[in-house]
Amino acid sequence: METTNIVLCGLGGQGILFMTKVLAQAALDKGHNLMCAETHGMAQRGGSVVSHLRIGDAKGSLVQEGTAHLVLALEENEGYRNLPFLARGAGFYVNADRRKFPKEGLKPFFEQKEIRFRSVDAGKLAMELGAPMSLNLALLGFFSAFGDGPLTHEEIRTTIESITAKRFRDINLRLFDAGFEKGSMLL
Amino acid sequence: MEHEEIMLGNGAIALGLVESGCQMVTSYPGTPSSEILPEVISRVKAEGLNTYTEWSTNEKVALDNAFAAAVAGKRSACCMKQVGLNVAADSLMSAAYIGNIGGLLIISCDDPGPHSSQTEQDTRFMARLAKVPVLDPGDPQEAREMVKFGMDLSEEFQIPVVLRPAIRVCHARQNISPEPIKTGEQKASFEKNPSRWAATPKFRLMLHGELNRKLKEIGERFSSANHFNFHNLEHDRHYALGIVAGGVPSAVIRDILAEEGRNDIPLLKIGTPFPFPDALADEFASACDRLLVIEETDTLIEYLLRDRNRVLGRLTGHVPEQGELVPEVVYGVVNRVLKELGLNPFKREEDIAVRELVKNLELPVRRPSLCPGCPHRASFYAIRKAIPKAIFTSDIGCYTLGLNLGGVDTCLDMGAAITMASGFYHSFEQDGKKQPIVATIGDSTFFHSGTAGLLNAVYNNARFVLVILDNEVTAMTGMQPTPGIGIRADGSEAKSISLERIVSGCGVEYIEVVDPYDLEGMNTVLKKAFEYTESRDGGIAAIISRHPCVIDNHEKAIPKKIKVQVTDDCTSCNFCLERFECPALYYDDDLGRVNINRHICADCGLCIQVCPQKAIVEVKEH
Repeated sequence: METTNIVLCGLGGQGILFMTKVLAQAALDKGHNLMCAETHGMAQRGGSVVSHLRIGDAKGSLVQEGTAHLVLALEENEGYRNLPFLARGAGFYVNADRRKFPKEGLKPFFEQKEIRFRSVDAGKLAMELGAPMSLNLALLGFFSAFGDGPLTHEEIRTTIESITAKRFRDINLRLFDAGFEKGSMLL
Repeated sequence: MEHEEIMLGNGAIALGLVESGCQMVTSYPGTPSSEILPEVISRVKAEGLNTYTEWSTNEKVALDNAFAAAVAGKRSACCMKQVGLNVAADSLMSAAYIGNIGGLLIISCDDPGPHSSQTEQDTRFMARLAKVPVLDPGDPQEAREMVKFGMDLSEEFQIPVVLRPAIRVCHARQNISPEPIKTGEQKASFEKNPSRWAATPKFRLMLHGELNRKLKEIGERFSSANHFNFHNLEHDRHYALGIVAGGVPSAVIRDILAEEGRNDIPLLKIGTPFPFPDALADEFASACDRLLVIEETDTLIEYLLRDRNRVLGRLTGHVPEQGELVPEVVYGVVNRVLKELGLNPFKREEDIAVRELVKNLELPVRRPSLCPGCPHRASFYAIRKAIPKAIFTSDIGCYTLGLNLGGVDTCLDMGAAITMASGFYHSFEQDGKKQPIVATIGDSTFFHSGTAGLLNAVYNNARFVLVILDNEVTAMTGMQPTPGIGIRADGSEAKSISLERIVSGCGVEYIEVVDPYDLEGMNTVLKKAFEYTESRDGGIAAIISRHPCVIDNHEKAIPKKIKVQVTDDCTSCNFCLERFECPALYYDDDLGRVNINRHICADCGLCIQVCPQKAIVEVKEH
């Protein structure tokens, strides 16, 4: 199959690694090969965190600029920082205030590159459900509503259910479902 | 379907180690190598294997221990980051001559970028210098295979073998199928043979000759195409350009050539750069007019290719001489060479416009910062307040980020906080000038490389304040235990080593233990310590600033949560933002004053002690 390139970004502590793990495991369960690249060490101390996920038969772990089919951003500015990764026709899913998204002056770029840009206030959603640290699940749920990429909503949900530690399972699924609902409303 | 796991590159290396029957694994943590030993331990526990593992106090200690196991006939390995191999270099050079009985694999992880290191140095050159074989994997699966291959090779030729995974192997994740694991069964034995194990220079000459013979034979074996070294030349076809690549860049270039559908550009992939596969390289070179070499991080392959007249690479300015060879860089390099040689360029052009667009957004610069509630922040704040005019020598660890608080002026290598402090002292003292100096070093770094420098400083009458930042863990690399806390790598109980007693044993006569969360108390102790360094009968003053890491042990670090808020008394003087630099404090444009980011605040309450306007107060909950 053709490789699907995904870039996941945000700030240290927002749960990028877990979000990557969910998508990677879902892809593996579906029988795909995969390669990921993670950020560890010094860069994790509150700085920008990026992870790359390549579903398919890629040899290298890094996504090349201009070739990402999907960019998922847990923080708006980090999303913009990773704009160079977007391929023509890619999907750009961001945790941001819908009324202010996207930042001024970016629409022409998205239109010219035929990029589907969508945002959800995942932080607010997570706060409302009493789990501010789980905004990653809310964004993932939102993203899953659009059927973008090789994984379906059900496949991602099943994976979350199977790999989340028991004490977080309920809240994680609730956030995922809440994000999914927000996304479904936009269809 | 066979069972597959998504494995971190370091996990794949660990799997290779246990699969190869390795009986001892030693390590000192350092990004990007740190996860190898914990991954070994979790396999060992899961399979009930009898494998000895340890966090050693430093990399030289790790290599010496593993070497002894290999001399006793067992398969062993030691793991470290590339700059750690500098510390172990003394052992490596000598071990190459003496050789081993059981397999000995030295895993040294490189950090092109660099992402979390002082240098971008290339471990392959270190192996070349020591005259031992080096293996350079392109992905986790290949790293795992190379571990097993390297262990067999090391044992067959009685020569240490170096594995050089780069960060994109260590911290890549890939789906991998584990195989049944065999336990190493070799019993330790030591046959006395002083002319080898304790060789004097006369015997060393003979050992050197033997080493050279081993290398020659290994070189011949590497030279024919094999699992790690191969090319895709078509029979009787001639090419305008061929690419020679090794390690991570070989994976990158294979993806690019496949995506671009370029079977007019053959690739020679080299997994064993030393001893260099000469015959295979000659065969490849003879079918290509020009060769482009793409390797990380230095120019080993480029140097070792015999006919350099037709070679393009770093030495000809075609490949960047520093920085990581990420896919877009490799793509650009090859594309420029294609154009220069008048060949068909790649399909996509570099998109400079999007980079401009991002640049014009003026996104906030995210610099790494000490965590909210970090005890090091408190220490640096107190140090700068108590002894503001000092030179602040520091060291390798999270606390290097003390530079954000103006509390770190130098960072050279492990242990240099102390050695540079004594060097500065003597330099100024020589001119008759009194220069305050405060050295900061973490507990793990002190255990690693502190004592030799401290002994030396005491012995040679240096004067400075030494602050050991004891957060009871090796935090930066992922919370490995230190010799101070009474826990070993596998979680079992250990003898706990007292920092106070070591410092005292080094001859330091002024030692105080403080809790940096008491900023005022620490301030007082620092001033007293400084006076001691200046007094006639004084010397080096050591302060052990002890408080648990807020990430490692949140409950113990912050036993009483203090919720804070900023009142309207805030005058926006920004003192807290600049001097305390807590990520949870920020200037709120809407309020026109400083505010607290409740998502990340650790509720340590330290900022209450910092605000000059007393505008940060505890929230009284009713």
